[in-house]
Amino acid sequence: MPKKIVQLIFPQKLIKKPVIYTMALKCKVMPNVRRAKVTESVGEMVLELEGTRENLEKGVRFLTKQGIKVEPVVGDVIE
Amino acid sequence: MSFIKGLRCRECGREFPAKAIFVCEYCFGSLEVDYDYERIHGRLTRQLIESRPANIWRYRELLPIDGDPTVGFHTGMTPFYRADRLGHALGVKELYIKDDSVCHPTLSFKDRVVSVALSRAKELGFDTVSCASTGNLANSVSALAAHAGMKRVIFIPADLEMGKVIGSLIYAPRLVAVEGNYDEVNRLCAEVAARRKWAFVNINIRPYYAEGSKTYGFEIAEQMGWKTPRHIVVPAASGSLLVKIRKGFKELHKMGLIPQPETRFYAAQAQGCAPIVTAVQEGSDIIKPVKPKTIAKSLAIGNPADGYYAADAIRETNGWAAEASDEEIVDAMKLLAQTEGIFTETAGGVTVAVAKKLIEGKRIPRDESIVLCITGQGLKTQEAVADHIGKPIRIKPTLSSFEEHVKL
Ligand SMILES: Cc1ncc(COP(=O)(O)O)c(C=O)c1O
Ligand SMILES: [Zn+2]
Repeated sequence: MPKKIVQLIFPQKLIKKPVIYTMALKCKVMPNVRRAKVTESVGEMVLELEGTRENLEKGVRFLTKQGIKVEPVVGDVIE
Repeated sequence: MSFIKGLRCRECGREFPAKAIFVCEYCFGSLEVDYDYERIHGRLTRQLIESRPANIWRYRELLPIDGDPTVGFHTGMTPFYRADRLGHALGVKELYIKDDSVCHPTLSFKDRVVSVALSRAKELGFDTVSCASTGNLANSVSALAAHAGMKRVIFIPADLEMGKVIGSLIYAPRLVAVEGNYDEVNRLCAEVAARRKWAFVNINIRPYYAEGSKTYGFEIAEQMGWKTPRHIVVPAASGSLLVKIRKGFKELHKMGLIPQPETRFYAAQAQGCAPIVTAVQEGSDIIKPVKPKTIAKSLAIGNPADGYYAADAIRETNGWAAEASDEEIVDAMKLLAQTEGIFTETAGGVTVAVAKKLIEGKRIPRDESIVLCITGQGLKTQEAVADHIGKPIRIKPTLSSFEEHVKL
């Protein structure tokens, strides 16, 4: 299944919400967190997302809509 | 002879072979070149360096190639001098300029990183090079790849200055103007890089490419008489130059070539794109990406790849960071030109303007050595100043017309 490696920047109001979990359920995307850092005002997470192409796009759209900045770390890895 | 030990993850420290890779497969942290310093120590001496030709490869043991360099034999060893007239204007005692506005061949410090990147890309077997650029990198990859006989595909934001577009096109790269800002160009390139076997100098070759910026720092130390300044103001886009100047100073010390550096690092950014300044001033560990809006287009990176490491270097050395408005940038470009005779591009205006601010705000003391990093050429960004420098005095070809109009 295709994978996507992304960096997420969370605004303060989303740090305490289970956004990744919700995205995983709603969009059928499997997240695999590799690195995370949280300060008082902002959170950062680097993770791998796995799913169908369509679901990956759906997942990224969902996160962006919540107010999370999504930056790719590398191009999509197709397997 | 190779002194490369391998690549090392900057986050988790895991080691990898020195191939065309740039992220750690475990934690996705970025990779950095590691050297066999024990073997370099003692072998690389001041005398050896000074005996070599005046280009970046005089420090070759500390640069990431296995064999002999193939690109950049005229790059580097740019002028470094005391800038007393600008120093007087800024009210400081000991000011120096490192002037890469005349770096060969494309008039910015990017010729350093690209010379290293292309030499390494050739060793790794690539015949096509590519990059995402805010302008100067595009010029440099276009020119040096032409000279190296490599195919070149260059991605730029569509709204770049004319000087930077022409300064690429003349070398006949495949120049792709993307309708978006640099961060969008970069994102696209990361995806293209996963599909094409090209050497993207600032993506899959980035660990090697970035090392080229150390030579800017090596030269400052050598040109100061094998020591480092107390303060250095560096323009920051991705933040890599700042981080690598510091790495360069540290390596020279480790090799026993200079005393312990006590240099404070200061980042200069434009007001419309200052994510590193914000992180430093807020004392934050995380860089918040921004949407750039500034005339300093070469510094318009809203999501800086090395932003975290730059902010960290600034904190560790007790430096600081500040931003300059468009108007301050133009004023500073004029000030540098009118005191030191250097026409720098907008990025240099950012550096001078921020230095002025830091001195006035007492962040930088007036009686200690300060180096300003001038990294690009003013002829490339003429539109930034065109409406702010007056016009020539137009006269008839007669003495009376001259006497009438020209008063000193
Ligand atoms: C003239 C000039 N100065 C400084 C920089 C900043 O370099 P870095 O991305 O290493 O921070 C750039 C980057 O494009 C540049 O073109
Ligand atoms: Zn790692």
